[in-house]
Amino acid sequence: MPELSYREAVRDALSRAMRDDDDVFIMGEDIAEMGGSMGVTQGMVDEFGPERVRNTPISEMALAGAAIGAAMQGMRPVAEIMYEDFLTLATEQIVNQAAKHRYMSGGQLSVPVTFRTQGGAGWSPGAQHAQQLEAWFVHIPGLKVVFASTPSDVRGLLWSAIYDDNPVVFFEHRTLYGLKEEVPDELEPIPLGQARVHREGEDVTVIATGRLVHEALSAAQEAESDGVSVEVVDPRTLQPLDEEALINSVKKTNRCVVAHEAVTRMGFGAEVASVIQYGAFDWLDAPIERVGAKFAPLPFAPVMEEFVVPHANDVLDAIRRTVGRNGN
Amino acid sequence: MATEIKLPRLGQGMESGTIVKWLKSEGDPVEKGEPLYELDTDKVTQEVEADASGVLLKIAVAEGEVPVGRTIAVIGEQGESVEVADDAQEEGSPARAREEERERGRDASTSRDASEQVTQIQEPQSGNGRIKASPLARRIARERGIDLREVAGTGPEGRVVAEDVERAAATGLPSAPVLAAAPAPTAVPQEVEVEQLSSMRKTIARRLTEAWQAPVFQLGITVDMGRALEVRKRLVELNADGAKPTVSDLLTKVSAMALMRHRAVNALYKGDAIELHPSANIGIAVAIPNGLVVPVIQGCERKTIAEIAAARAELVDRARGGRLQQGDLDGGTFTISNLGMFGIERFIAVLNPPQAAILAVGSTEEKPVAVDGQVVVRPRMELTLTCDHRAIDGATGAQFLGDVKAFLEEPGLAL
Repeated sequence: MPELSYREAVRDALSRAMRDDDDVFIMGEDIAEMGGSMGVTQGMVDEFGPERVRNTPISEMALAGAAIGAAMQGMRPVAEIMYEDFLTLATEQIVNQAAKHRYMSGGQLSVPVTFRTQGGAGWSPGAQHAQQLEAWFVHIPGLKVVFASTPSDVRGLLWSAIYDDNPVVFFEHRTLYGLKEEVPDELEPIPLGQARVHREGEDVTVIATGRLVHEALSAAQEAESDGVSVEVVDPRTLQPLDEEALINSVKKTNRCVVAHEAVTRMGFGAEVASVIQYGAFDWLDAPIERVGAKFAPLPFAPVMEEFVVPHANDVLDAIRRTVGRNGN
Repeated sequence: MATEIKLPRLGQGMESGTIVKWLKSEGDPVEKGEPLYELDTDKVTQEVEADASGVLLKIAVAEGEVPVGRTIAVIGEQGESVEVADDAQEEGSPARAREEERERGRDASTSRDASEQVTQIQEPQSGNGRIKASPLARRIARERGIDLREVAGTGPEGRVVAEDVERAAATGLPSAPVLAAAPAPTAVPQEVEVEQLSSMRKTIARRLTEAWQAPVFQLGITVDMGRALEVRKRLVELNADGAKPTVSDLLTKVSAMALMRHRAVNALYKGDAIELHPSANIGIAVAIPNGLVVPVIQGCERKTIAEIAAARAELVDRARGGRLQQGDLDGGTFTISNLGMFGIERFIAVLNPPQAAILAVGSTEEKPVAVDGQVVVRPRMELTLTCDHRAIDGATGAQFLGDVKAFLEEPGLAL
């Protein structure tokens, strides 16, 4: 089995889809000769040419609108938004156009577009280049939202996103691009809406997304040395959400921690906590704990940035609170 | 610097105790080593000494059941201000800080004094009568018919969590009140009397329920007590001054000698190991007005029957007076339960875990028996040995019981 980095896995999914299907093409700022600002599309213009690997003007609104138009005409475009912070500029197109046309046309139109984007802290990009804004898009009916945390997941999920007939906002995490994993020779599509249990446990379920999946896994290992058995589950697709898998896990462990890098307040974890309390109310033995970034813009200073975003020790503290006891 | 007085762990397995009363009042001077309060554990009621000198600044728990380690009082300098923290959570822990924050938010306008705060922490019930319990704990309580008001919470802020309810269920805490003993026959039918379980009854329930899980078998044997009764009579004559040796004392001694020859029976079953003990520390089951205790006579194989009688008399006296110390109850390796004085001819005793065996002793009765082809009347006594089969096999128990019989019938063999 080949070992692929998260970056290579994204490229692999794009390239395979483009080889298989002439309707698939990619567009974005500096994605051709430069290979994208994160190097994801490096070399693709050589294989597929500038017609299918299209550089766009520096206008997220224009490129999003063009991708939506192409999708409505029967193509399966994948548009790259260089930083998810810049989704703000494309929001009109994504929220008011892409998400609505299928509904407003009574099903006569479909918009099979994928918006790939990336973000996240951990390398001091500052307040305008490190946010985690996935929750905004989960709030919009008509959009699907994916947040992949491993090379095999990102490859299989991106394939499914491209071939989904609805608009998908596809989040990647900047600090995961170098992460390597062995993946099968054959690309196995991962259906949207299917959670992944990374680790089974008995005492606490940590529901984590993106980078926090890995932080949760190291917290789980640490907790195990204290005798606390932790289950780590990644929903992978935020919309549709695999509620059943999350609820079943908490019914087994009776305790739940929700962890993401995004700001805690109104974060995706709030929705998960609600799903869990409703679906597993009579199984909960402790309040649901939430882990996320502090309510502050992300600082440039590395030490300050580290303070604002959550790490494995924050997850571990939350795990310990859920199993906490007063009596001894 | 004030000293927090915490509920001590007085013996293995002690998880909580009930404060009966305080022997000092707030504001009283206290010397280290002075009796401070009376504590009812699941085994004994005893006075607990102060472990610091100064002034008793605060009694945080006036009476009632408290988990081990909980702060129950503060001793310090006169005039020192006291804050009784909920000590069980680490200070400065995020959960603690968060709870405090919530507390402040909720009661921003009202200040609470320390005692109110303590009450709130100790009791899962908050002021409005609502019990603080997790949804899972509530569901389990509902399913098993357990009254959450009866369950001590060990979660944050005294919240009742699932484990607490499970523990309560295992100790047989009743959902419905326990019925009192039937009223005397002369009395007209009266109202049902409700007796809440004392901590001793809870312990009896918990330990015997636990014992009932063990795979046990019983062995019965009948002993000719002719020689033993002669020996006992002679011992009483020789020990006119001390405690009068009883048949039980004799039995304790010969059991000890037999245990030394069959050490597999002088054993504790510890789940992943069997401990074979070098000395026969024999527990004597003693009925007391509100339950049953098993004080232990240490090293019976080294004691004379007169010494055993003296130790037994002292322990029984203390047990009936409710004055047993924790040390009187620890370290048993074997138990003898004798109901012969009630005319019971034979019975089966329930194991006293982790001990691997318990001997049930019946009454000595005149019985016709065949001796050398003739029917003669002899004093006969029945012994029933209950063995934990996880530790002891049938043949081992049988050899031990055979030796006990041989030593009683021919006491010289025990030498």
